[in-house]
Amino acid sequence: MSRPTAPVSRRSTKTEYIETDTGNKISRRAYIEGKQNIMLGGKTVIMAGVHLRGDLCRKPEPAAEGEKEKPNTTAISIGRSTVVSTNTTVRPPMRLHKGQMTFIPMRIGDNVFIGPNSHISSASISSHVYVGANCVLSPLCIVKESSKILPNTVVPPGMTVPAGTVVGGKPAKILGEVGDGWGQGGGGEGEEWVEGGDLRALVRSVK
Amino acid sequence: MTTSFPSTHYACPCSDLTSAPPPPSSKRASIQPTSFQVNEEQAFNPHSPRADYTLYPLDHLLFCDECDEIRCPRCWTEEVLYWYCPHCLFEVPSSAVKGDGNRCSRSCYDCPSCTSPLAVTQISQRDEALLRPSDAAGGNETYVLQCHYCDWSTLEINVHFNKPTKITEQLVKQRKSRTSGSKENVSSEKAAITHDDAFANLTNFYEDQLNETVEPQNAYPGSPYSSPANLARIMNIYGGLSHNALKKTREKPQPMREARGHAEGQTSFSANDSDTGIIQRLQSFGWDATTTSEQCLSAPVNNDTRFTDDLWPSATRLRTRRAKRCKSCRHIIARQEPKVGSMRYKIRLLAMNYIPRLSIRPLNPTVTTTNPAFHLRPDMPEQEKLQPHQTKQYVLTIRNPLFETVKITLATPTTTPGKVASRVTILCPSFTVGPAGEVWDEALSASTQSASSDGGRKAAMASLTGSSESSDRQPEAGKIWEKTRNSTSVVVEIIPGSLRPPPSIVPKTEEELADAELKEDDDVLEVPVYVRAEWETEVKPGETVQGRKEVGGMAGEKVRKEVGYWVALGIGRIAG
Repeated sequence: MSRPTAPVSRRSTKTEYIETDTGNKISRRAYIEGKQNIMLGGKTVIMAGVHLRGDLCRKPEPAAEGEKEKPNTTAISIGRSTVVSTNTTVRPPMRLHKGQMTFIPMRIGDNVFIGPNSHISSASISSHVYVGANCVLSPLCIVKESSKILPNTVVPPGMTVPAGTVVGGKPAKILGEVGDGWGQGGGGEGEEWVEGGDLRALVRSVK
Repeated sequence: MTTSFPSTHYACPCSDLTSAPPPPSSKRASIQPTSFQVNEEQAFNPHSPRADYTLYPLDHLLFCDECDEIRCPRCWTEEVLYWYCPHCLFEVPSSAVKGDGNRCSRSCYDCPSCTSPLAVTQISQRDEALLRPSDAAGGNETYVLQCHYCDWSTLEINVHFNKPTKITEQLVKQRKSRTSGSKENVSSEKAAITHDDAFANLTNFYEDQLNETVEPQNAYPGSPYSSPANLARIMNIYGGLSHNALKKTREKPQPMREARGHAEGQTSFSANDSDTGIIQRLQSFGWDATTTSEQCLSAPVNNDTRFTDDLWPSATRLRTRRAKRCKSCRHIIARQEPKVGSMRYKIRLLAMNYIPRLSIRPLNPTVTTTNPAFHLRPDMPEQEKLQPHQTKQYVLTIRNPLFETVKITLATPTTTPGKVASRVTILCPSFTVGPAGEVWDEALSASTQSASSDGGRKAAMASLTGSSESSDRQPEAGKIWEKTRNSTSVVVEIIPGSLRPPPSIVPKTEEELADAELKEDDDVLEVPVYVRAEWETEVKPGETVQGRKEVGGMAGEKVRKEVGYWVALGIGRIAG
């Protein structure tokens, strides 16, 4: 899997985005901590001002004498063609487990759009999810497939957003369901991209 | 109304077919002359109050391929595939829903004051634990339901649990003990029975009444004959007096009576109690301590609750997943896999795969317009307002999802309906759009701009002339602007009208002034466009032709098909 901040001097240093071998585009102005704990699926965009807190991961148990150091645990894993817009913070949630605060690895699926100025702390976000601007996804909430979170929503801690629903409000309530054609159409050459659909065209347009 | 522009909404043509509005009485018509017709003679008015119930984004519409019609929530019927709890995502069998109501019976509870989910939290009672010997401390853990959003917890209603599982049972037990306890406190014959008890008593009473008056279903329970009704008839014919008749002759049938007394569920108003207490509480705690109507309606237990301190956690309401059926031909047009959380479809006939799709954008955009849903940066420029009386040109693109070349005819009223009349001209209202092909076909044509079909050649020509990129190229009347393999673009000229009415010499009456006053969203410029698509398709062998709009029907023969529908194109807001 790709390392986010791959060799800096691959291209001319003028461009805003560093493109990795798998097609991830990472802004030079993104703040990435603990990059060894972050997995990007390829063709994923991390925009300027994004905070990725990969350093917040479960501390590996100290290796016993003579054993090899365990490989790094993953703190954040992001799928393919996912877009994390500007000034969004992605912070793995933590919880009390057997009397100790531990961080839970966070999983974000494919073709997820996360709007600007959001705070993402959920346990998992499935594929084809649309998160609007200025949202707060509180710790340990679970966002299921093909759901839509309207702009300026606060998803309360521990809430499950079921597949195919539209949620909004502070705190978030289930307001409705996405249409049967959610994510269909668009995404083709020269067509506009649609929410919940294939985001490859959008990723391509980011320069 | 839409908040982001440009937008396209499609009107389902069902409203003039299925539910024609009842002819309004002359009185009503004079008050509300907003006519709502979706027929070809009169233009569809997107500002009409009923238009909101007809306009849908394209991804919400389905298509019935038997009737060849667009289908919207008003012209499909839904049937429940399964019930599920949105919190624990477990499927609930329909028998359980019928028996226990539409609430999750697991440990899923919502906060009564803010509706977010409650979590079981362990609380440590330190002061007590310190007094105890340390080895006994294991047994006295207590749990509460806590809302992590607004910090409400069941401690506020003084409820805690001994174990973190079987919350529902514990909660019901506590509720029961509490309500029965309160009854003992009043301890008179006129004890205020709770709503639920009264309801249960009433149900019992009326069931008894019904049983007494109505003939029992099975008068001969011991017989091996399977149909009791038939058996009763046979016995009537051959057996002389039946069991029922004997019973009837013995006692006169009494008319059903109403409940009397508490045991039968009667409740009477008593003026003596509790009102003064409520008033005192209201005086001391104020308005903020009272419940809102949403809080009261969150669960039946909270229906009569007056103060937020008495709110009871409400069990999470179940949700359904539904299949859709065409109302007229009863065919299923959308059906998901019957599995919770799965978004895969078994059948899905989307309108966007059957009807030409429209999209509009400015001809010379000042800012690059993308889908406004995809704001990538917070500092996106504000949506520009349209200046009145300034001609602007837009490119209207029609995309064809069908595998046949489609002939498109566009029609629009010259001035938009509504308070603000804007002038609209479609420079080329009738043209053809090439067929959609396979994915690899698309990929080929996208890279080389050449396709073998007739539409493709034209497209290639158009793209060649277009690609010479004469920036001074002017849109001409009667000519299409751009053409690709399965899409055609034409230019639309729009002159936004003025929000202020034109000055007049004659002083206006009050009525006219009130009429001219703009209401919310009257400044939104929406252009109704009637799209008619015609194409020819081959009848597949073995397929029966039923549609009204088809003529002929032999296998292998060409059949003409057409669809027509209104589209409301949201352009923007007009500057005042």
